[in-house]
Amino acid sequence: MDFGILADPVFFVQNVVDGLSRGALYSVFAMGFTLIFGVLDILNLAHAATFMWGAFAGWLVMAKASMPLPVGLAAAMLAGAAIALALELIAFRPLRRAGARAGADKLSPMISSIGASLVMVSVAEAVFGVETKRFPDRVLDPKPFLIGGIGGVRISRAQILILAASVILVAVLGFFIRRTRIGKAIRAVAASPRASLLLGIDVNSIIAITFLVGGALAGAAGILVALLTNDIAPGMGGQIELRGLAVVILGGMGNIEGAVLGGFLLGLVETFTIAYLPGGSDVKDAIAFLVIFLILLAKPDGILGKGKAERG
Amino acid sequence: MSGGSRRAATIRRGGPWVAAVLIVAADAYLCVRDPQDLDRLLINAMLALSAFATLHARLLSLASAGFAAIGAYASAILAVKLGLPVFLSIPVAVLLCGAVAMVISLPVLRLKDVYLAICTLGFGEIVRVSIILIPGLTGGSTGANLSTGFTYATMKQTRSWALALTLVAICYLFWSASRSRVGRALRAIRENPEAAETMGIDVVAYKNMAFLASALVAGLAGAFYAHSVGSLDNGDFKFSRAVDILGYAVLGGSGAWFGPVLGAGFLTALPILLRDGLGYGLGFLKDFAQFPNILNGLALMLVIIFAPGGIASAFPRAAEQRGVRRRDLVRPSAPAGAAEAPSRSTGGKGKVLLSVKGLGRSFSGLEALSDLSLDIAEGGIYGLIGPNGAGKTTLINLVSGLVPPSSGKIEWLGREIQGRRAHRIARAGIARTYQNIRLFGGMSVLENVVAGRHIRLRTSLAAAWLRLPSQRREEVEAREEAMGLLDRLGLSELADEDAARLSYGDQRRVEIARALALEPRLLMLDEPAAGMNERETSALGDFIVDLKRQGIAMLVVEHHMDLIMEICDEIVVLDFGRKIAQGAPAAVARDEAVLEAYLGRE
Repeated sequence: MDFGILADPVFFVQNVVDGLSRGALYSVFAMGFTLIFGVLDILNLAHAATFMWGAFAGWLVMAKASMPLPVGLAAAMLAGAAIALALELIAFRPLRRAGARAGADKLSPMISSIGASLVMVSVAEAVFGVETKRFPDRVLDPKPFLIGGIGGVRISRAQILILAASVILVAVLGFFIRRTRIGKAIRAVAASPRASLLLGIDVNSIIAITFLVGGALAGAAGILVALLTNDIAPGMGGQIELRGLAVVILGGMGNIEGAVLGGFLLGLVETFTIAYLPGGSDVKDAIAFLVIFLILLAKPDGILGKGKAERG
Repeated sequence: MSGGSRRAATIRRGGPWVAAVLIVAADAYLCVRDPQDLDRLLINAMLALSAFATLHARLLSLASAGFAAIGAYASAILAVKLGLPVFLSIPVAVLLCGAVAMVISLPVLRLKDVYLAICTLGFGEIVRVSIILIPGLTGGSTGANLSTGFTYATMKQTRSWALALTLVAICYLFWSASRSRVGRALRAIRENPEAAETMGIDVVAYKNMAFLASALVAGLAGAFYAHSVGSLDNGDFKFSRAVDILGYAVLGGSGAWFGPVLGAGFLTALPILLRDGLGYGLGFLKDFAQFPNILNGLALMLVIIFAPGGIASAFPRAAEQRGVRRRDLVRPSAPAGAAEAPSRSTGGKGKVLLSVKGLGRSFSGLEALSDLSLDIAEGGIYGLIGPNGAGKTTLINLVSGLVPPSSGKIEWLGREIQGRRAHRIARAGIARTYQNIRLFGGMSVLENVVAGRHIRLRTSLAAAWLRLPSQRREEVEAREEAMGLLDRLGLSELADEDAARLSYGDQRRVEIARALALEPRLLMLDEPAAGMNERETSALGDFIVDLKRQGIAMLVVEHHMDLIMEICDEIVVLDFGRKIAQGAPAAVARDEAVLEAYLGRE
């Protein structure tokens, strides 16, 4: 085994860069995931399918219609938002209405979202085919920037874009949730839908807005992942779904800051496992599960589970 | 009744049967046309039962596909690589699944709803990745080819017969278990786990059992699948397969075992029939490989939204024991429980049953109860009063074991019981009712009360499967006694009603009957008269005094002061989690501190 790499600073920095850009993707994906969970207290297992449709929307606009990248990103976010809104109207809202009659239960929405996810992935397979789609080179020059000349740290354009986009998205979402009226209403509904209703907040509209925002984030994550891996396929959501769940649990269910930190953490850990551990690339897929498993072993209600239980 | 509504009733009753017959007919047609579909159908039905086993116990587990993968690969490897006869490889593989299930159930079953689903989803992925990681045994990502004797065409019939018989056997086991004390406990857990636990049902043990059963059945289905298909690919058990399986069980309904079988029959047949049979008009569907998946996904959504009970719910209370209804009872109005408990003198109190010492509980810094000491003696009626939020229900939750105390001791017959799980406390002889009623909603009134007798019945799973005469006798006796209790509370006319449909006051009485079915020595009643009118309240008072004559001690939380003053031997007053007074009713009514707490300082 070559121990030289352990001491190589360039190699180390390279992995930090790769890990951060990987983590940025997880963060953007998980933010939407955890936002919807925080507000509705249910898991939207169709989030990964929304993500995949966002990637396809961006790909269509950029590769087929030859539009520039910002348009592609906007298309992906729009598509994600529209799909998520449709999900809320078709798969979740009717259940809430039914739940008001007979006692609410957490399994039904999850099952409904699993069904929706299956439909969305199958329709994508039927429309686009199962094989991988790629961007033409003109979309994103694959030649990386080199910092420190030949043999230095390589940063691809996609990585720069991803890091920039994720920082902007985190900042915008943070501002939206903390500072705006709607953001405050979202937090109120997350804390207690009943009390919000009594205070005159239109809970259904707020939930719809939450889905729009979460879906837009899923769509953004979709197109960013597509740009980084240059690999767009109906099955692409499966890869990120388990990682998203791990990040959401790591950061605390419904905790947006936690999801951002958790995303970067998982990205770094995965990258370093591949780089420094023999056979790491086989093991890396198991890391997300290991994270889930260990956390839940220690805290069966999830990291924030206790607080939520006692609130009711 | 008009002709129209009679017709509607006929459709309501007959419709589900017609649907069931149609599904079976469609499946039969499928199998006649292509015998390979028979195997697929039977295996899917088995997988559906595996998902049912967990859903029925209110566990959303997505592990069935993972266990099927273990069963399939283990059986294939044993048969092909180690040369074990196929009929031996299958049970060994199933046992392996059971072992894996027992190991992972320890941590996994502690998890609640969402987290359990996530963990079992992860489990499926881990199994899939593991299969890829050991290509030497499994063929890795390319799959394993296995040609055992069982896969040859000549064996096809034997294989299908073996498969069909196995499925019938599994159905029998589910059916007989569902008609016994075991099935009733599982239904109780599904309807209200907390109430089930305080009725003495060991919820964790039952959930473990359900998870194990699910793993075993899934492993069996997987093993048969391996020997039916003849080659394995780890894509056979990917996440979408887990979703298919869930779809069968959800469409079929988690209420009764035959639901998932029909659900699997429907979801297996429909896409094939639509594509091929009716394909003359829908020819374009032929090349539409995603069609079955889309159909499954839509079915999952539509059923959970519009008919959450699935097919099984169209056959109301099919899972419950029939034939031992009221008309069959030997002694319809035998006074149950009462006969067994020797009557004691009504006057002086007996020995101390429950002794609470310095008990406290705080919820995130807020003290709901602090430093409470109280003795409860045999045959005494203790009133527990105080303003809202004084800690009355908290005390009942602490004693019944639903909430662990932050400090202090709870002694029962001299033994410390704090920290014990609620079902063990119920077993010791402490029963309760709830302020916000927690009946088992989807069950009949009679079933609710019989469920309360859980700990007094002995039938094991094995006895239920064998349908031993002793088990049947026990069931009949339990029903008789439950009927007796309902009679005493004036509810016998309502025995067959769905418990959730009763009026508020009746539901409270059913809760009392259910708690009494446990034959408790201490009964804690949390606002038993709430929602009752004056006449009902006074009847309840008489009933409580009657129970006292049997020697049952009672702790009664109530806001009807007339009732409390009339029936209680002793009254304890709580305010802000502290005891501010205790004594005979007349003395408490004059107490300065009590008046201040209730009326405020002048």
